[in-house]
Amino acid sequence: MVALAIGAATTALLLGPVPLADLRGTGIVWDLRAPRAVLGFLVGGSLAVAGAGLQALVRNPLADPFLLGLSGGAALGAVVAIAFDVAGAWALPLAAFAGALVALVLVYRMALAGGGALDPRILLLGGVAVGAFAAAVTTAIVSLAEATELRNAFLWLWGGLATASWDTVLVVAIYVPLPLAVIAAAARPLDLLVLGDEPAGYLGADVERVRRRVYVAASLLTAAAVAVSGVIGFIGLIVPHIGRLVWGHRHRALLPASFVGGGTLLVLADTVARTIVAPRELPVGIVTALIGVPLFVLLLRRWTIT
Amino acid sequence: MRSAVAQAHLAGLVFALALAGACRPAADRSPAGLVTVTDDAGRAVTLDTAARRVVSLLPSFTELLFAIGAGDRLVGRTTWCDWPPEARRIQSVGDGLPPNIEAVAARRPDLVVLYRSGPNVTAAEQLERLGIATALFDLNQLEDLGPAARRLGVLTGRIASGDALARVLDSVVAQRPQPLGPTSQSLVFVVWDNPPIVIGAGSYLDRLAALAGARNVFHDIPTPSAQVSIETIAARDPDVVALLSDTAARPAWAGRREWRAVRAVRDGRFLYLPGTLFGRPGPRAAAAVRELRRRLAVVGTVP
Repeated sequence: MVALAIGAATTALLLGPVPLADLRGTGIVWDLRAPRAVLGFLVGGSLAVAGAGLQALVRNPLADPFLLGLSGGAALGAVVAIAFDVAGAWALPLAAFAGALVALVLVYRMALAGGGALDPRILLLGGVAVGAFAAAVTTAIVSLAEATELRNAFLWLWGGLATASWDTVLVVAIYVPLPLAVIAAAARPLDLLVLGDEPAGYLGADVERVRRRVYVAASLLTAAAVAVSGVIGFIGLIVPHIGRLVWGHRHRALLPASFVGGGTLLVLADTVARTIVAPRELPVGIVTALIGVPLFVLLLRRWTIT
Repeated sequence: MRSAVAQAHLAGLVFALALAGACRPAADRSPAGLVTVTDDAGRAVTLDTAARRVVSLLPSFTELLFAIGAGDRLVGRTTWCDWPPEARRIQSVGDGLPPNIEAVAARRPDLVVLYRSGPNVTAAEQLERLGIATALFDLNQLEDLGPAARRLGVLTGRIASGDALARVLDSVVAQRPQPLGPTSQSLVFVVWDNPPIVIGAGSYLDRLAALAGARNVFHDIPTPSAQVSIETIAARDPDVVALLSDTAARPAWAGRREWRAVRAVRDGRFLYLPGTLFGRPGPRAAAAVRELRRRLAVVGTVP
């Protein structure tokens, strides 16, 4: 597993739209390729862990970090920043992050509305509703604004690691360990949640607390990911399932495996995105789907046969 | 100051037009009084008489119509049609993306000129069902300008002016690009920063650069624009970064670390091209080439 990750990282450094031999003496590999690979690993890993946590939390195999309204909120934040010409090199990621947080708070409040307990069904439905509403407002702004450039804002949403630099890597590397640790610490109660709320409670899990912590941590991971790389689909959905098929359902093994697997898949997908149509580039979200889905289908078949 | 420069160029073009017009006898109408052209969708556009109420749904068409002296026939334009300044006085029918059929029809036009694109073909069909004549023209490359000018001239009864303008525009395109010597500059047109989108050979901007004696480093991409990685831009190492921008304010992304891997960004060699002159192919193409050449010379002398 780790060997696979190292292999992916090496490939990402060696392969690019420009042959390595032409880059000797320039800082391009160190300044652009290396941070892009590291950022890809962190983002892919975070999305996969967030997906694994959320799937256990809402007991729904379809749960995806972006199903919870966060991508819609982030998109709205980004479009508002562009439409109102918010200045600053970090305006876009910060606005996207803020938008995702607003969506997170809205959905969280909605899910608490029925009383003190966080209702997983409302998390899902509320997420979809908030996402749809944010998408409508986003489209309204784009269609009413004069700036032609706003149309390009949609491209950002397709996901990509184009803006990776050591600055971005540093910010993400400082940010993600805490939410990752929160989810990792909940590995045992997440195992129990699969049995249902009541049995999990009997077996000693504080279902409510676990649910709140894991939901907030997963959302914070997703918000950071979308802020630095747009919406990269399928990793958070598929990697945890692949992890379960290969390593089983125990979260103590599943969570680290998802992190390394998600990171590896995104780094590989980004290498393909950068090189396959060079000098052009594909949105990496397309490549994660093109690689991830067949892999997933293959594993599903093997799993159902045995 | 910039608009004064642009106007001087416009005056030059008008003068050239007058000359060209004077040298040529006015073409006559077809015998039946019918006006017919074939548009770029391959349809025959037939009017009983020259159009008197025209709605233009592309800034380039609006500019062309004014340039051939048919500006007074315009009864509708898009929100983007900002040149010549008189165009702003014409009622807007919206952004045209896609056309608002009701707003267009409410202007009671006898001709609507549209850029040939998927949604516009559908809009043209809807307008035709309302009994309004439509013409769909391509306008992607500088080569498309001449034929469009000529046919707009026929449709508005300004045949001689349309022909004259078309010949001027054709001659701009027929110019041999300046030979690319060792001193010629290379540039990249950055349309968007995240994801990075640049202009390829399919855009008129690529041709404008070549005519101005500069080399677009993404000339090998056949489409008008494409997403590329910053790495590729850095490796191709253009001398200048050209941006379509009405102000000379440095873009925020120029301060980001990943972009500083590009030498021209690091050295602050930006070229800000105003949208009214460079944002679309139009009758001022020759002025755009001259202006680009002048600006390249200026940015070239900056250490």
